[in-house]
Amino acid sequence: MNNILPFTTKTLMADVIHIDYRLIPILGRFGIDYGFGNKSVIEVCEENNINVYFFLEIIKSFHNHQYFPQEELQKFNADVIIKYLSSTHQYYSERKVPEIKEIINTLEKSVDPEHLSKISLLNNFFKDYIVELLKHLEREEKNVFPYILKLEKSISNKVYDVSLIHDIEGEPIENYEQSHENMEVKLSDLKNLIIRHLPPVIRQDLCQKLLTELFRLENDLKDHSRIEDKVLVPKVKQLEKQILEESGK
Amino acid sequence: MENKTSKIQVIIAAKHFLYRLGLKTIISVIGIDPEITEIGSLSDLKSFLNKGYKPDFIIMNNDISDESILDQITAIEFPCRTMLIGDKGQELVKGRFEAICLENQKEIVEKFQEFFFEPESKQEPSTDKSLLSEREIDVLKTVALGLSNKEIADKLCISAHTVITHRKNITEKLGIKTIAGLTVYAIMNGIINPEEVNQ
Repeated sequence: MNNILPFTTKTLMADVIHIDYRLIPILGRFGIDYGFGNKSVIEVCEENNINVYFFLEIIKSFHNHQYFPQEELQKFNADVIIKYLSSTHQYYSERKVPEIKEIINTLEKSVDPEHLSKISLLNNFFKDYIVELLKHLEREEKNVFPYILKLEKSISNKVYDVSLIHDIEGEPIENYEQSHENMEVKLSDLKNLIIRHLPPVIRQDLCQKLLTELFRLENDLKDHSRIEDKVLVPKVKQLEKQILEESGK
Repeated sequence: MENKTSKIQVIIAAKHFLYRLGLKTIISVIGIDPEITEIGSLSDLKSFLNKGYKPDFIIMNNDISDESILDQITAIEFPCRTMLIGDKGQELVKGRFEAICLENQKEIVEKFQEFFFEPESKQEPSTDKSLLSEREIDVLKTVALGLSNKEIADKLCISAHTVITHRKNITEKLGIKTIAGLTVYAIMNGIINPEEVNQ
């Protein structure tokens, strides 16, 4: 077995989780439920209508952060990539964010009055961050992803209408490319406020839980932005170029 | 921050199997239990690195390329600490690699220990991480209130350049980069009043 990347189409799906439990949420994002018995990765993927090679590249890159097959990933159709990114968005907005909110709320309720103002400050800081994050995700869902799907559809049908060409010339993807950096910086600030600057007397158990969740969210977001910035954006540029060329513009 | 799996990743690149075996033995002798990837040719090594792998260490023997190894590897970007084992005369590349030629076992073991355990020479200068100076607190106060660099400079009668330096130091000491984060810190520590912020 390759210890660095121990997953193949024949690996048992149950073993995937045994090897790396951090992949649990990834399986969820692909819509895979438990109870897969002794079925292999390829069998489970086929049942769930999932592109097994895409699935493998994604779990490998999550398992070993040093593995990032940018070019291989770019070869998958945009709709496959977007479906995955979209369900990741859903995971953030419907699961992660409410979980973290809940911890901060509990912290706010259980802290003694003398420290209440500090936790409320953190809570507001996090809420602001969330507003920004959700706005960012929504923009991708409503504008960026549909645009990309339109590009791909137009290529497969070989129909290039004027409005699409006009859209491409408006350079939407270049505008979108402005990085995810600001989001990451805010999250890092929040972590440091807790780690370095919160008085040690404040509910240690909850602070630990909160920090762990923040680190997880941060890592997940990093992986997510990596796919958007290094796979999706270059792929879109290539589609745009192809359309402009084939339509003779 | 990298999310590393527990073991360190080492690439051993040498043409001959026996050579690679020998290198693995030395590594285990000095008490390291890494994940080892064996590579038998320079082109494989290149494509491996191109795929985005970032090992922690690379140990490379000069038999990996039939042509002159130095010509071949100077164009490659090595992402980590890299050791080149070969003949004398390869001191040329010392700036980029730990180039060694092997004489006896003691030397080899020492060299390997040094390679794996000694920190690389370029260490970050240690900065004073203690609390903020009075001047920095003055600057932080104005930053948290949302003033621009120019406004801060005018208010504190210092140059904009000095303001930037102070801000850089504050961020380094506190680990907080955004204005919103600095404002939270300032309120938490009583440097400004919450009421002041919205004015």
